Amino acid sequence: MDWFNSHVLSVVVFFPLVWAVFGLLIPTTNESGRNALKYWTLIGSLLTFAFSLKIYYAFQANGAAFQLTELAEWIPGLGTSYSLGMDGISLWLIILTTFLSPIVILASFTAVEEKLRGYYFLLLALETGMLGAFVALDVFLFYVFWEVMLIPMYFLVGIWGGKDRIYAAMKFFVYTMVGSLLMLVAIFFLAYQHKLQMGTYSTALLDLYKVHIPGGGFTSPQSLLFMGFALAFAIKVPLFPLHTWLPDAHVQAPTAGSVILAGVLLKMGGYGFLRFAFPLFPDAVATFQIPFMILAAIAIVYGAWVATVQPDMKKLVAYSSVSHMGYVVLGLFSMNAIGVTGSIYQMLNHGVSTGALFLLVGMIYERRHTREISDFGGITKVMPIFAIIFMIVTLSSVALPGTNGFVGEFLILLGAWKTSPGLAAISALGVIFGAVYMLWLFQRVMFGPVKNKENEKLKDLSFREIAVMVPLLFCIFWMGVAPNFFFRKMEPSIERFLTRSTATAVARASVPSSSSIAAFFSKKN
Amino acid sequence: MEALTIIRPESLSLSSEQVRALMPYFLVFGGIMLATLLAVVKGIKPKWPVFLLAVATAVVGVVASANLIPDATIGMFNGMMVSDSYSHFFNVIFMASAGITILASLRYLDREQLQHPEYYVLVLLSALGMMLMTSALDLIVIFIALEIMSLAVYVLVGFRRTDKKSNEAAMKYFILGSAASAILLYGAALLYGATQSTNIHEILKFTQAQPAGMTPLFTLGVWLVMIGFLFKVASVPFHMWMPDVYEGAPAPVTGFMTTGLKAAAFASFMRFFISMGYGTTLSATLQAHIHDILWVSAVLTMIVGNVIALTQTNLKRMLAYSSIAHSGYLLVGLLAGSGTPGGYSAVVFYLVAYAIMNLGAFIILTVISNREDTGLNLHDVSGLASRSPWLSFAMAVFLFSMAGIPPTAGFAAKYMLFYSAIQAHETPLVIISVLCSSISVYYYLRVLVYMYMREPVGSAPASRVSMWSALAVALMVAMTLQFGVVPARLVEVTKRAVASL
Repeated sequence: MDWFNSHVLSVVVFFPLVWAVFGLLIPTTNESGRNALKYWTLIGSLLTFAFSLKIYYAFQANGAAFQLTELAEWIPGLGTSYSLGMDGISLWLIILTTFLSPIVILASFTAVEEKLRGYYFLLLALETGMLGAFVALDVFLFYVFWEVMLIPMYFLVGIWGGKDRIYAAMKFFVYTMVGSLLMLVAIFFLAYQHKLQMGTYSTALLDLYKVHIPGGGFTSPQSLLFMGFALAFAIKVPLFPLHTWLPDAHVQAPTAGSVILAGVLLKMGGYGFLRFAFPLFPDAVATFQIPFMILAAIAIVYGAWVATVQPDMKKLVAYSSVSHMGYVVLGLFSMNAIGVTGSIYQMLNHGVSTGALFLLVGMIYERRHTREISDFGGITKVMPIFAIIFMIVTLSSVALPGTNGFVGEFLILLGAWKTSPGLAAISALGVIFGAVYMLWLFQRVMFGPVKNKENEKLKDLSFREIAVMVPLLFCIFWMGVAPNFFFRKMEPSIERFLTRSTATAVARASVPSSSSIAAFFSKKN
Repeated sequence: MEALTIIRPESLSLSSEQVRALMPYFLVFGGIMLATLLAVVKGIKPKWPVFLLAVATAVVGVVASANLIPDATIGMFNGMMVSDSYSHFFNVIFMASAGITILASLRYLDREQLQHPEYYVLVLLSALGMMLMTSALDLIVIFIALEIMSLAVYVLVGFRRTDKKSNEAAMKYFILGSAASAILLYGAALLYGATQSTNIHEILKFTQAQPAGMTPLFTLGVWLVMIGFLFKVASVPFHMWMPDVYEGAPAPVTGFMTTGLKAAAFASFMRFFISMGYGTTLSATLQAHIHDILWVSAVLTMIVGNVIALTQTNLKRMLAYSSIAHSGYLLVGLLAGSGTPGGYSAVVFYLVAYAIMNLGAFIILTVISNREDTGLNLHDVSGLASRSPWLSFAMAVFLFSMAGIPPTAGFAAKYMLFYSAIQAHETPLVIISVLCSSISVYYYLRVLVYMYMREPVGSAPASRVSMWSALAVALMVAMTLQFGVVPARLVEVTKRAVASL
């Protein structure tokens, strides 16, 4: 038990992979073997979730900056270490990952019927990759996990995806790879600067925080390094105009792939900004603050517009992701406690609501094998439970007060207003456009007469499908009405993040004394 | 002059340390002789005895050389040869790749009805040439070793006697290879004229003694020797021979060439490169020239290799161009090596990683190809994953490794190589390198697309894998992953190897 307590992060990260390797031994030639494999995988992901709750209880919000740390030498000659740790920012992203995994596995029970062993193995391997990236405190280790994640996702899209799956998988991989490799160059450079300034090789994040790199101006060393990191993260988020891989990958991926992609992989970009790009290059952040906020505002409005005209449901949800993730970047770059908190919250929200939307689209696709909006209409009459759940998720996505989406977007806009009122105003339009495309989608799919004969005999959600959706619905409301529960754990970490990221930056008057967001919010409620 | 005219008494008798240091060479040579004899003994079928003897020789060679890695440096034969960690480290690579090649060839030669015992002897002989080349300190010895190595490989390339392509490849390789050897030899002659020695340590002493007095003769000599080496490592613009030779040669021989031959050429090149004083005593002008020209050559090699590989549909040819691209990365490492202490160890590590993954990939090509090495087009591997899941998995590991994606040896190697280049202030070169390597991701992954994401064309049966090939592939997969996840020990060994230079 002692060993478990001191290595809880390693256990959570590698448990799914180890479990998945044993899953490969289950023969899938007959029906009972196939079921055994499905439940085996589900149990594995549930156990991972249970382990990750241990992290939640062990984490002391007011304790050390990084907790549950583990440290071991890896390649001494290069200064790389196996260094894990987590804080209030990664806490919820870890739990989001372990929370979504059993859901997507349960949702895949009927959707995927071929090459089962590979499929479930890759899902769990992907979970290991994502969790590893969230807890790595060494840039080398982070990079390893960051890249390892691509492999399972590439196969998930490429093997179990839709008609253009190969194109989408390839585009996804190459796009991400270009960004990652430039980040790698920046990592080298940074690590080398550490060697020059401190005399020892190290890639540990906390060591690299101390490296001094001249900043100021768009072509200063700090700005160039920042761009190396930011490009990788902006591709992952994805930020306009680097978002073009996303609709392809989302639409072609199997439902589970889309949910994981939207729910967790995109967060990796935001997390990268928070953990690496901002604290490492504070001056560059000040330089690039407004350009990035402009891009984010464009992403919000543009994503919403493009989503409005999509004839395909899944593509609509994909473009809504571009818009929603625009808010995340906007909040991050507003560089004040309110905006950053909102941004992290929005990452969680987006994981829950967009994940839920992809699941719902997947469920109706399984029944009708089409996602064209025009093929539907009047679904409320044939699938009432589905319609109710879809309604709730839609409202969460358009940020209705009382749901999770509202808290995140409200905080982000508030934070952005403090930095740039103009951009905040433009971005606020996104909320309206968001309501337009989501409600219009709902209207066209759900209301009106049942025009299409094939829709008349659709079965409503099964017990399993309801079981998939209930935890997500619960989260939508819980996060909507009790955000303090989540903020409490994040707050000191966010303050620390802001101190670091503004440490050497030119003073900006707009940074509020980052006094309690939680207090602010409880006043409002 | 001294080295050539005065024969010192100690050069005629060998001390016990020297005998110990020469053991791997004696053992391998003995194995080769014995195998040759076995091959002509009347009344026995030579296939199994020679095969097993060859494998045993390779194993003995690996073990004997590995044992000598920690030993101190010993000069031999009047300074013409040296036994140091560096040479023994590479000896391990050569013998291992020869052994693996032999393992993978047994079933292949049966299939092609080429089961002649000479094949195994030639592989070992060529490996012996590589061993000598890496431990040679004298340009003349380097030349002789190069010829031992190359002549054996010329024959191996043309081993499919009845096949036009194989013959063409052998001919091409022979003519161009001889020309390159001649250029190298001419360079050695000019260096002898300029420095009164063909010993690279003497040449280094010469550059140290008169750094400013580098005559045109010396410069030209250096260039010609370098061109000889650049030809052997197939860097642009001396790469034209490579794709045809790689495509025409029997698949296991191609695998052997990409690993052993390339490692040997780079190992010797690196020795020469360091010994002529690059980064230390070479005159600034000459150094700048060499730097600039190698810089351009590295960039062109990476771009040409990667871009042309994009358009290939034959897997062997694609891997040939990718091999050119990898030479480009290695040149980057070579350029950067002098920038940091132990910087060359990144090149050595890369060579090891490259040898492992490429050998593995070529064994798989050997196994899945049809008679006459056909059936290696992209569409032939469609749906391979459903026919041969284990082979496909292994191939995926090798391809991810070549693309430099963790957790594989290829990633660790690229990481160290580019990191050392950053430390040598070659940032633009590194940016070009990583962009080129992101191009390479596309063509490596395209193979996976065919293997995993497309349906099989027709109903090809699963490839039959011999126990020996399976063993070889499993070994390569294990090493690719091991050096990717825990490279620390290999890093230490490569550092020690380079430190002994």
